[in-house]
Amino acid sequence: MKVHPGHEITSLQYIFLLTGVQVGVAVLSLPRKLAETAGTDGWISILVWWLVSMLASLIIVQIMKNSPRGSLPDWAAEVLGVWAGKTIALLLTLYFCVLLYDGLTKSVLITKTWLLPNTPAYVITVLLLLPTYMIARHGPRIVGRYCELIVYLSLWIPLVYLLPLKQAHFIHLLPVVKDGWQPILTGAKEMIYPTLGMAATFVLYPYLKHKEKATAAVIASSSLTMLTYLFMTLICLVYYSPDEIAEYNNPVISVLKSIEFRFIERIEVPFIAFYLTIFSLVWIPTMYLATFCSSWLFARKDIRGQLQILCILIALATYFYTPTLYQNLMMEKILIGFGLSVEYIFPLILLSFIVLYNRLRRRNC
Amino acid sequence: MKQRLLSALTIVVLVCLTTTTSCQDQLNLEDASTPLAIGLDLNEDNQFEFYTSTPIFSKNIKKKSLEISGTARTLRQSRALQNAQSPGSAQGRNYQVLLVGKRILQHEDWITMLDIIFRDARNTVTDRVIAVEGSVSEIMLLNPPDQPMLPILLRGMINTSSGSSETVSTTAQELRRQYYEKGMTPSISQVKVKDNSVLVTGTTLLHKGGKFAASLGYQESILLNILQNNARSGVSLSYAIPGKPQTGPFHTDMISFTAQKLATKIKTSYKRSRFQFDIKLKIAAALTEILFPLTIQQDYKKLEPIIAEQVKLQTEAMLKKFQSHKIDPVGFGLNARAYQYQQYKKVQDHWTDAIADASFHVTVEFTINSIGPIK
Repeated sequence: MKVHPGHEITSLQYIFLLTGVQVGVAVLSLPRKLAETAGTDGWISILVWWLVSMLASLIIVQIMKNSPRGSLPDWAAEVLGVWAGKTIALLLTLYFCVLLYDGLTKSVLITKTWLLPNTPAYVITVLLLLPTYMIARHGPRIVGRYCELIVYLSLWIPLVYLLPLKQAHFIHLLPVVKDGWQPILTGAKEMIYPTLGMAATFVLYPYLKHKEKATAAVIASSSLTMLTYLFMTLICLVYYSPDEIAEYNNPVISVLKSIEFRFIERIEVPFIAFYLTIFSLVWIPTMYLATFCSSWLFARKDIRGQLQILCILIALATYFYTPTLYQNLMMEKILIGFGLSVEYIFPLILLSFIVLYNRLRRRNC
Repeated sequence: MKQRLLSALTIVVLVCLTTTTSCQDQLNLEDASTPLAIGLDLNEDNQFEFYTSTPIFSKNIKKKSLEISGTARTLRQSRALQNAQSPGSAQGRNYQVLLVGKRILQHEDWITMLDIIFRDARNTVTDRVIAVEGSVSEIMLLNPPDQPMLPILLRGMINTSSGSSETVSTTAQELRRQYYEKGMTPSISQVKVKDNSVLVTGTTLLHKGGKFAASLGYQESILLNILQNNARSGVSLSYAIPGKPQTGPFHTDMISFTAQKLATKIKTSYKRSRFQFDIKLKIAAALTEILFPLTIQQDYKKLEPIIAEQVKLQTEAMLKKFQSHKIDPVGFGLNARAYQYQQYKKVQDHWTDAIADASFHVTVEFTINSIGPIK
């Protein structure tokens, strides 16, 4: 599928899209996971994994430089044959579907815990899928614009997170590197899940308006992601006692409960309602990406048909079966394995293959 | 055409879905009954008792609040009894204060009874936890005609008292932190009923498990807040100056000051197999009351170290009290963890024993900033 004019996305949209898919729902539980393994030094793990994820996203961009006018399946079909293209398209479809389903069920579970405990999950799912369909069907440019808009609308959120600092104990962070580097490096593996989403480049690269800025854009996006994580994790670490933080499933939400205003009680309620838009930065782009890949697989020009099928399938699936909290955690584990192979290992192998292939071809010429 | 039909169909399906199934979370305000205070106590047979106080919004009813009580095994289980006695469905979403009776504080681990407050995401966690000297029923059923509703009265009293540091302001969330934090012990506000009126009497200090340990008066509470670096400028302390004459029934040897600048520095070290905390208090104050004759221009240089000595003595006495009860409401454990981590790690599970064994060195630096408009 070649790129049509009028579908290009700007660098800024690309940055926000990648960051949105990564941050989305993953940020909520991150401080707890880091505290469980690395204690109050968890924030250093973020910095460690920052380098790794930046390297991985640079590798992905390096791969896509070979295919400026088509997505990864296009490139594979051209160079390795149709079946290689189809395999990669199927792999990416599956991967984006898992990412999408995980993000969506997490959002539904959070909505159910905090806002609507008695409403059936499928009603919430259907209500969330409607705007998803309306945005995703318009293609990358509208999805990109949506991400940009939501990021601008959420710029005030960090300010609110400064309020709990009144009860903060910065002394929790001392001493830095408490128990040596071992727990910090172990904690870094918790960062795999929150960095998933870089694979979007495989599809979005040909749509970039300024491809020469792609490298700078992925560096900016991974830095933005890490800054967000660092900020939220530090707030939670200084607010909660190190002996207690592991008790909260989603410390990023729980920390809001302590904020008191004269005019509103339970401030976390409007927050979670607003957070749904941020969570949507996970499933709206991945929904587009998944249907893009599946349309490629079935050689359809228009993604709309695939999108409708996917939406109806998800709605039906949640009607008959809603994952419980533990099943969702299981799914997260599967996703971590899947994501590690698709976003970290697979690109590395692919890049070494491309380098070898190019060298061989040059020699043959 | 087909597109329009499809979107119309979607809208119809959605409307049906939301109206038929999702009303389960709906609660009309007139059907809700929102207690503003909850009290926990034990009766003579050590059975768990709960009390709630709900405001009544009605013109024709003279009494503005409804008190509900009963015995139950847990707080969640008490919901049925609450519903049975109130006009609407009882909601735990607006508690302002959480009262804990004296009999509860004689037992350990009562804080686990509060699990519902944290586990049900819809409950507030900013309710102030208050210890009652006496029974909760006494205070809940008091209803003096000349005072505002109990929850509002209590919350107001705690807010103003803790604003001037005369008690602590421990929310349920904060209590949970102090309970789980290994390096400190909890402290909560304390009230009692005296001559048919409610008054704040200072701070209740709890053992690590939540059992009652000791009480602090107003001035000691201020010092506790100063040590925790929680006290804001404006706190007022009074001391008797030794050697000054008293005339008649009047304490004419007293001097009072308002702290304008407060700084607490705690230096942590580990010497001779015990922790040592060097506490340095810096107070710059305005004298607000001097009841003995004084020529301030000449005497203030002499007065400063005398007041400093009084502050030091009281602080040291308070620290001794903490040590004899094996409690650490200040949270010296946090300092120990930050600066002597290797040593702290060994004793963190029985930190209160370590604090009883620790040594404290208090130094107070007191400066008089101003003496007011009269000499």
